[in-house]
Amino acid sequence: MNNTSQTIRVGLFFLLGLALAWITFESLNGGRIFKQQGYTLVAGFANLKGLKTGDEVRMAGVKVGAVKLTRLAAHRVEALITIEPGTKIPNDAVASVEQSSLLGSNYLGVTFGTPTNPLLQDGDEIKTKPTVDMSEVIAQLGSLGSKLESVIGEVGQALGTGGENGNLFQRLDQLVTANGPKLTETISNLQDITAKIKNGDGTLGRLVNDPKMHDELLATVTEFKSAAADARTFMADSKTIVADLKSGRGTIGTLLYDETTAANLKISMQNIRDVTTKINSGQGTLGKLLADDQLYRDAQGVMKKADRALDGLSDQGPITAVGIVANALF
Amino acid sequence: MKHLLAIIDSIGCALVLLWRSAKHLGTLPRQFPRFIEQCYLIGYTSLPIVTILLFFIGCVLALQSGYSMENFGAKQFIGTLVGLTMARELGPVMVAILVAGRVGSAITAELASMKVYQEIDALVTMNIPPERILVLPRLAAILVMMPVLTIIADLCGWFGGALVSQFTHSISVDSEAYFTALKAYMKPHDITDGLIKAEVFGFVIVLVCCHIGLSTRGGPREIGASVTKAVVTSLILILVLDYFVTKALLLAT
Amino acid sequence: MTNPFTASPFVGKTFGVTVEHLTKRYGKTTVLADVSLEVRPGEIFCIMGPSGSGKSVLLKHVAGLELPTSGSVRIGHFDAADPATRNQVHLALVFQAGALFNSLSVYDNLALYPREHREADEAGIRDRVMHALQILSLEKAALKFPAELSGGMKKRVAIARALVMEPQLLLYDEPTSELDPVMSATLTEIIATLREQTAVTSIVVTHDSTLALNIADRIAVLMDGRIRATGPTADFKHHSDPVIANFLNPVIDLQNPRFKQLEQSHE
Repeated sequence: MNNTSQTIRVGLFFLLGLALAWITFESLNGGRIFKQQGYTLVAGFANLKGLKTGDEVRMAGVKVGAVKLTRLAAHRVEALITIEPGTKIPNDAVASVEQSSLLGSNYLGVTFGTPTNPLLQDGDEIKTKPTVDMSEVIAQLGSLGSKLESVIGEVGQALGTGGENGNLFQRLDQLVTANGPKLTETISNLQDITAKIKNGDGTLGRLVNDPKMHDELLATVTEFKSAAADARTFMADSKTIVADLKSGRGTIGTLLYDETTAANLKISMQNIRDVTTKINSGQGTLGKLLADDQLYRDAQGVMKKADRALDGLSDQGPITAVGIVANALF
Repeated sequence: MKHLLAIIDSIGCALVLLWRSAKHLGTLPRQFPRFIEQCYLIGYTSLPIVTILLFFIGCVLALQSGYSMENFGAKQFIGTLVGLTMARELGPVMVAILVAGRVGSAITAELASMKVYQEIDALVTMNIPPERILVLPRLAAILVMMPVLTIIADLCGWFGGALVSQFTHSISVDSEAYFTALKAYMKPHDITDGLIKAEVFGFVIVLVCCHIGLSTRGGPREIGASVTKAVVTSLILILVLDYFVTKALLLAT
Repeated sequence: MTNPFTASPFVGKTFGVTVEHLTKRYGKTTVLADVSLEVRPGEIFCIMGPSGSGKSVLLKHVAGLELPTSGSVRIGHFDAADPATRNQVHLALVFQAGALFNSLSVYDNLALYPREHREADEAGIRDRVMHALQILSLEKAALKFPAELSGGMKKRVAIARALVMEPQLLLYDEPTSELDPVMSATLTEIIATLREQTAVTSIVVTHDSTLALNIADRIAVLMDGRIRATGPTADFKHHSDPVIANFLNPVIDLQNPRFKQLEQSHE
């Protein structure tokens, strides 16, 4: 073995090792083999909630240091925290003990503070705020849960009446099960529509956003009314035809001069009046639907209407429940 | 009892050997060529096997941890796991095991044959302490070479893990995410701890192998027995010391 | 070229060796039992004896490689068992098998001692080594490795290595074993010449009676770990003790072979 080449190889090998070590430390810690000491702040708390030495200090979720020491002081506990050099913390930044997971690992969160304020120096005390205890939050959630339960119970009672297919929730359930994909589609459409409404796109959007559209709306409602009148006629016709079918007579004359038919006609007239009234009040519902946050109750009303419409039109062939709901709402 | 005494006796002899070698520390500069030769034999020639072995250990570590971490959705921590395991544990230990098998056995075989063929006796009569020219350069060389081998081993393991994480279909953690996770929880002292461990292992391996080689008695047959004994002892010591050194380093941080 | 051996200051500072009541046991086996010897400065002293009589062990005690169980070995007034003695006495042991460093060339084998003890610069070391090789006609083998050498050459290299040390006490362990008669004679002549040139005390352990009777000043015969006889070489040419006479001059008797006697004695 040539001695010189051996020396060169060993030398190169050693330099390679040094270089690799340097690169590794460089990429891990900016070239410092031992971590440069940052500065230390004191954070006082009434309760540290299990914050311990080595836990992270994070500013807006980014690690800026670590807890060096926790100690008991007079009537409070103090955490000495080491902040990495170069991290600027203004004197109005606030520290609080946060929980990074439900399993109980903690970190000390520090807010940004005002950038123009003087910066905290080594040994300064950082402002703190009492920490929300996760167990308290969970207890509150518990009581909230029971309240919600009772509310939902009431709502359930309120909705659980009527309907030939059981209460509303059951039907909704069926409806959702049967029309899952369509619902999804509808909801995404709804989102689109809502977005458009927000942006003022489309008629409804303009309707909501543009007060000038109000007049047009009124006109539309008027048209709606006349349409309802048409519907009234149509209903009358249908009733007549139905009555004809029932009585077995084929002619309008019979219809006019028969007492039973007259009575039927009276009943249908009443029905039609009912419908008209409801359509009239429907204007208010639509208004509420758009303006009022008591959406649910309105929806309930619509649902009931839809319900009845379904009853009335049950012989008109299969119409999807979603179609009805969508029609009733829009 | 007899075995216990034998073990204590060996420890004592090894320490005496260390002391005798340390006494000649001043002669190290003029033994520089010998030191370089040992560096070459211990470090340079171990490089290929260390590279290949640790690369595949990194690969298999990523593969296994990917498989098991998938169950609880912690795949993004593969980099952290492979990185820390390589730097703190597998890097130093595997390098030490390779060095014990490759270098320790060679040292013992060489010294045992020198002892059996009276070369050691010749050195003694020439008033050249064997510790000075046989043990000291080796100890110095291993102290210089172990960190180099270990840092190379660490990096090979990390890159092996990164490759496997990226190109294994069931893991598919790209190398950027892998190295981000690796860096996020790796502190510089994790690497220095690993290097310290490697130093301790290397030092103990060479000391033990020299001691066993030099205390060989009998004929050529004993050379083989000594080599076996040296490698087994080294391996046991590596793993036993590993626990205590790790514990001490954890306490120190 | 001046002869560095006669010119060097160690000449005339050679040592005698005194062995007093030396006993060595390995476990329960007694290898040496109460051995006492006196080697005078400047003489060639031969320790003879059959294989296994403990003569090599005795030599190792002189070299300080073995520690006595009891008794003492002194070189001049230094204790041979004390490692510090080696700083006072330049002692060279020529091992039976040479004990050359297999990883070093012949030149480096010889140069190791002066280099390690920094007795000269590289040029001075080169002179000394080449001179020692010259004495033993080994110049051509300088760059060879021990594995490439024959048995006789190995022994000569071992002697050359001893010479480079400029010894004040030369110990030979079986210098002529495993060699052909001519090479044995050569080595015998070398030992005698070296003593003449350097006046160094030489202790030769051998079972080669030709060597002993030709060059020794005095002879001791060691049998079963004990001194059987000691005295000037002339006494041993026709020794009165039949065992020694038989050992020095064994008569081949096919009618009554020795191995049969050995068998009988073991029964």
